[in-house]
Amino acid sequence: MVNQSSHNSYTSGDAELAHIAVEHLSLTIGAKATNAILRDISFAVECGSLVGIVGPNGAGKSSLLRAIYCHRYDQPASLAGQVMIAGHPVHLMSRRERACKIAVVLQESALPFEVTVREVLATGLTPRKPLLSFTSKDDTRLIEGIAADLDLTRFIDRDFGSLSGGEKQRVLIARALVQQPQILLLDEPTNHLDIQHQIETLSLVRSLGVTVLLTIHDLNMAAAYCDQLLVLNKGQLVANGEPFQVLTSELIQDVFQVAADVAVIRNTYTHERRIRIAYDMPPSRTIAPGSAGERRG
Amino acid sequence: MKMPYGLTVAITFSVLCLSVIGAAAQGAFDLSLLNVFQGVIICPWTNDCALSPIEQQILTDIRLPRIFMALLTGAGLSITGAILQSVTRNPLADPYLFGISSGAALGAVLAMSAFTGAFSGFLAATGLSVVFNVATGALAGGALSVFLMLTLAGKSAVQVEKLLLSGVAVSFMLSAFTSLVIYYSTPETAATLLFWLMGSFSGSNWADLILPLLAVVLGSGLFFIFSRWLVVMQLGEESAATLGVPVHKLRLGMLLVCSAVTAILVAEVGGIGFVGLMIPHIVRLLVGGQLHRVLLMSLLVGATFMICVDVLAHSLLQDQVLPVGIVTSALGSLFFFIILKQRQSR
Repeated sequence: MVNQSSHNSYTSGDAELAHIAVEHLSLTIGAKATNAILRDISFAVECGSLVGIVGPNGAGKSSLLRAIYCHRYDQPASLAGQVMIAGHPVHLMSRRERACKIAVVLQESALPFEVTVREVLATGLTPRKPLLSFTSKDDTRLIEGIAADLDLTRFIDRDFGSLSGGEKQRVLIARALVQQPQILLLDEPTNHLDIQHQIETLSLVRSLGVTVLLTIHDLNMAAAYCDQLLVLNKGQLVANGEPFQVLTSELIQDVFQVAADVAVIRNTYTHERRIRIAYDMPPSRTIAPGSAGERRG
Repeated sequence: MKMPYGLTVAITFSVLCLSVIGAAAQGAFDLSLLNVFQGVIICPWTNDCALSPIEQQILTDIRLPRIFMALLTGAGLSITGAILQSVTRNPLADPYLFGISSGAALGAVLAMSAFTGAFSGFLAATGLSVVFNVATGALAGGALSVFLMLTLAGKSAVQVEKLLLSGVAVSFMLSAFTSLVIYYSTPETAATLLFWLMGSFSGSNWADLILPLLAVVLGSGLFFIFSRWLVVMQLGEESAATLGVPVHKLRLGMLLVCSAVTAILVAEVGGIGFVGLMIPHIVRLLVGGQLHRVLLMSLLVGATFMICVDVLAHSLLQDQVLPVGIVTSALGSLFFFIILKQRQSR
């Protein structure tokens, strides 16, 4: 299991936790105005909160993350509006300055060559180290400390490619922490993970104490772990707020075209509200009376 | 179980030193290992030399420059291959795939045919032969190939797949021009050009070594300086960009450095294929995929391999020297065939 003992220990010491403000963000890729990927999106994120971005495929979730970390598109792309981190516009920061503030965990892609977990973690030092420098004892201590916190020590010298999906995801999150960022962006961190690793990954992210924005498909998971949800549909922000405010049957019907029952459960002691979504799925096949399936049931 | 990295480097370095000495003893004129030791270690510093002047001359003026040229070529092409594979994240990238070698070969062939053809008198008379020689021709050709590749790829040069495709296209185009030049040459010139294209270290002298030495030393220096960023590139371009690495500039810069190193080497020794592709693969089998290890070991293994290939080229046939390119290509295809068979049986 992941050791979650060290809360709030991963941000750089000098900086306060960031506050993100996105103001009238629009993104168009290609020449045509109809290719708008994001349309006039504005929202704010409080320090240290875990924000989930949900929406159907092609809604612009990953593009929103990309706009925050100033991704350079290969095609001509026009971006309007701005993203501020602790009052500073992201697009005015240098590449390195930005990498010191924002760490990004992308969906894991296959590596062409063997790279050890330790090496992958060490790449997190890149923005803070000059080109001509050796990994110091302090750097090694930082890497090994984070590896220990995330329960990676036993395979720190193994090939990254030989790890399971959940382990790889943990390594990539650990690498992001080596960057000592103020903000952590994760693009579908639970993709391809089984339910145990999904829970483990989201619990880990929750425990970090860094401001986190992540894209996620599973609405129940999003509701359980996020402080704030942003719902995107066709490039527009259609809802923004706490999960129990945002996730309603109507919204799920509108955005995902799926009928769903949303139950709000209130804890009698903590008064915490949680929601549980049950989707109305059409039966895939009918079971004949007396068949093996019915007898088992 | 892999050997410790330090030990592997030490062994490889020792093998390299032994191969230099062994290669110096090997040849039509008999020299013992003792002779070579004397010739290299004692004779340059004292008058008490046991070697005859002719033996001394064969060793220092013919064999050693040839061996060091092989060493530099092997080291240079191998590290260039390793870098190209790393910046493109493509295990099949090598200087040939990008058309750099074809460009350099075309430049060199044009320069050589100009010397033997109609312009030879003009070049000699005007003293331009100092500027327009095989080396400058190859450099210009290498530069032309990179220019064409980037121009053809246009704005998509930032995408590695487009860059590779464009490189392959340029490579074929320039090879076609080279064949055309050879086709229209006189039979004697054509034979010279063909032999040159297949690669050879024979005829190298100490002065020829200066430019390749500079290229390999400076190029390798740059590769090691940028290795921190190059490792990040292996994780993927977008990840590298989020870590503050100027991905496109780095790739272009590395491509230009690789082109310069390759063009200078091709200018001196002709076309020698498969080395830049094969050696980094062998090295990864030996020491794993960590980039700084791959770079250092590519230099050492590449150098050793090329010296051995040169010895083979000299000793396979009686009284005849095989072109080095033929030996490397034959060994290269054999190597990949073995790897393929191993993977299939796994």
